[in-house]
Amino acid sequence: MARYLIRRLNLFLATSLVLFLVMFIATGKFPVEHTFALTGLQSPTSQELAQIEQDYQLDSSQAHQFFAYLQQRLSGNLGISATSQNPVIDELTAVLPASFELGIVAGLIALVLGLPLGVLASLSKHKITQHTIMAITLTGYSIPVFWLGLSLSLWFGVQLGWLPISGQINLLYDIRPVTGFLLIDTLLSDSQYATSAFIDALLHIILPAVTLAVLPFTVVVRITRAAMISIMEQTYIKAAEARGLHTSVIVLRHALPNAFIPVLKNLGLMLGAFASYAMVVEVIFSWPGVGAWLVSGIYQRDYTVIQGGILAVALIIIFLSILIEVIHTAMNPLSRKELYAAN
Amino acid sequence: MKELLKRLTLGSAFCCIVPLLSACGPMRVPSGLVYCSEGNPESFNPQLVTSGTTVDATSQQLYDGLVDYDTSTGEMTPSLATSWQLSSDEKVYTFELRQGVQFHRSELFTPSRNFNADDVLFSFNRIIDTDNPYHFVSKSGYPFFQSIGFAELIDDIEKIDDYHVAFHLKHKDASFLSNLATGFAVILSKEYADQLERSGQEELLDKLAIGTGPFRLIDYVKNDFIRYYRNPNYWRLTPEVDQLVFDITPKSTTRLAKLITGDCNVSALPKAGELPVVIEKEELEVDSLPGFNVAFWAFNTERVPFNDVRVRRALAHAIDKENILRAVYQKTAEEAVGLLPPLSWAYSANEKMIDYSPQKARELLEEAGVSDLSIDIWAMPVARIYNPNAHKTAELIQADLANIGVRVNIVNYDWSVFNQKLSQRGYDSVLIGWNADNSDPDNFFTPILSCASVGTNSNRSRWCDPAFDHILSAAKSTADREKRARLYQEAEQYVAEQVPLLPFAHATRMVVKQKSVTEAKLTPFVGISFTKTSEQPHLANDDKESN
Repeated sequence: MARYLIRRLNLFLATSLVLFLVMFIATGKFPVEHTFALTGLQSPTSQELAQIEQDYQLDSSQAHQFFAYLQQRLSGNLGISATSQNPVIDELTAVLPASFELGIVAGLIALVLGLPLGVLASLSKHKITQHTIMAITLTGYSIPVFWLGLSLSLWFGVQLGWLPISGQINLLYDIRPVTGFLLIDTLLSDSQYATSAFIDALLHIILPAVTLAVLPFTVVVRITRAAMISIMEQTYIKAAEARGLHTSVIVLRHALPNAFIPVLKNLGLMLGAFASYAMVVEVIFSWPGVGAWLVSGIYQRDYTVIQGGILAVALIIIFLSILIEVIHTAMNPLSRKELYAAN
Repeated sequence: MKELLKRLTLGSAFCCIVPLLSACGPMRVPSGLVYCSEGNPESFNPQLVTSGTTVDATSQQLYDGLVDYDTSTGEMTPSLATSWQLSSDEKVYTFELRQGVQFHRSELFTPSRNFNADDVLFSFNRIIDTDNPYHFVSKSGYPFFQSIGFAELIDDIEKIDDYHVAFHLKHKDASFLSNLATGFAVILSKEYADQLERSGQEELLDKLAIGTGPFRLIDYVKNDFIRYYRNPNYWRLTPEVDQLVFDITPKSTTRLAKLITGDCNVSALPKAGELPVVIEKEELEVDSLPGFNVAFWAFNTERVPFNDVRVRRALAHAIDKENILRAVYQKTAEEAVGLLPPLSWAYSANEKMIDYSPQKARELLEEAGVSDLSIDIWAMPVARIYNPNAHKTAELIQADLANIGVRVNIVNYDWSVFNQKLSQRGYDSVLIGWNADNSDPDNFFTPILSCASVGTNSNRSRWCDPAFDHILSAAKSTADREKRARLYQEAEQYVAEQVPLLPFAHATRMVVKQKSVTEAKLTPFVGISFTKTSEQPHLANDDKESN
């Protein structure tokens, strides 16, 4: 297992290194002054210029420059944003929690609704129930997220007036960031309005989270159903049935844990698509997360923000994919066995 | 797995309970107002900028000026100055200052004294005195004051005693008081500036602002919000709301959506096409004021062929202004015949000085010997009060010019890039406009067409004509309104002959808001105020002011 973990860690480091290399080359190709693309300083003084040249080894070979670049970026120096003049790393850490919050809530919605529905679809003997569920998921899978987001905000926000459609919370609630996760911060807040603020934050997250959850939800339903159908045919399930166990016990204890394994694997594969969907959703619902921040950086030709955003998002996706793979291996006796066999 | 399931059930139960919760007890929302504004302020000190967005976020909320302007009477009214006198040679203005006015408190700063003459001296010396330690703290300069030649106008600012200040002018200037009534001429705290200087944090003066206004600045998160709390010691009636939040929402449709869902109470700059939606909703209303602004198409007269007046005239004749008003403004604007809007006292309803005539345009181009002309039009990427959709305007102009055989290339950049590139002069022509800062007609000419304004880049035509400057200075050096009005008419005529720019619309200023909100009110020029407007000053002061 230890060797396996080390190999995954290697994979993470190698992929990240390639990512940094791509970013390094791209930064050199931006249609602006190289120093500006690296640091975000519009018109550096000669003193600052000398500092930049030293930091990034601009008069050395490309290889040296790359390592200097790597060193700067890894030590947290992402430059400053050309439009706001704040360090990019500060802006990044301010927007990341909102994205995680949205992603986690959407993921939970997808799992909580998707797993039972998938199981139901697999167990149901009625053709109509099966077909309905499959039709719904297929529709959900093929709806473009930007259309869905806009339609939901039109129906539930503008026409019915039930739910807010923009931002994280009504700005009148003055919540001090502690964890950065607004749902938690509102609960931690000692303001007399804490409960109302929490409910308000919850109402604000419903529409974006539901929009974002549709894609993983449909995937979870379909994979769960397929996995459950094949597992329910297995002999150990038949044996359990023969022992007279109740169906719910069979499903929950014997079938579902095994069905969850392919679901997990597919969730890992979906991360990239999920992240790009999240960006679209953030822009539609003005969610102050990393996606909306990155998109506005692109509009404003804020090269340091673009680099910082891409690096952060890509690194997180690489890390999470590898993490999910590790969990998958840990949970799945079959692949563990393969692992030992390979060693 | 069991554990997970248990958690999932808990979670789903929780999800079901929450909407119920919100349905039961009424939500408790803190008292306050949310204003959906259109962009980020560049600074928290309006002295350093000309952008309306910044003035909206600062002048009326954080600061006070020496004097105010009352649109209903057209007179100057007291603010931090309770009264003022003009010397017989019209060169010395003496102000008596209001006593007992307190500056804001913040985590950094606790004022030890009230507002007095030192603060007035500091606020204006910072602008005109290059030896002032704060003069060069501003990297952008003082564009409004530079464009009106403020430093050249002021000879000396004299402190007579703690509550009397005299401004000595080098020459007579009838627009002086009007310029002091703009949102740019705000009063800063000298004590705060000194304290920051001692700790070497000068740049904070324009970021963590301290003023005397009805609200104090609490928090600003770029692209997100600005939070203000009520100033409990405001010298006028304190505002009724505890807090004021500017929700920064650049997209117009999003602002409207937020207004409908109740996330904001007042929303800036609606597009003409969105108004029917607002009128349909019972709880919303549109507030409008005839605008003190003008939208125009400026030619870069430093460039060939725009240095030829015949080419400029030809292009101007080719434009169907009525069409632009119909398509872009949808009847929320008036057609401009000159720079001055009908609201101005120097306005006179002349005949159209430049009529729509493609025939004349073609003849003029031929006369100038220009054929096969291809030009760039730079269109602003954002909605402004004077032009809600510059790109559409550019497309209409493109079609009009195609009629006379001129090809047009429309150029677009994001706003900050656009502004930067404009200052680098590399454009043929630009669709932009001007929003007046005060009621004085001079404000429509000196900042955008005088020679001095070429240097500050607010003269988008880069047009400098000594004869024209002469008319303007003649108009400024007299206080006789009739005579001034005549001179400004002459200036209008001159602009119509030389066509450094083509004015086409005076737009109506609008905000949309919930009917229940009574606090928000458009101020006559730039800016919006969130204090009750019927209020009277705390310290009743019946001094007669001479003006």
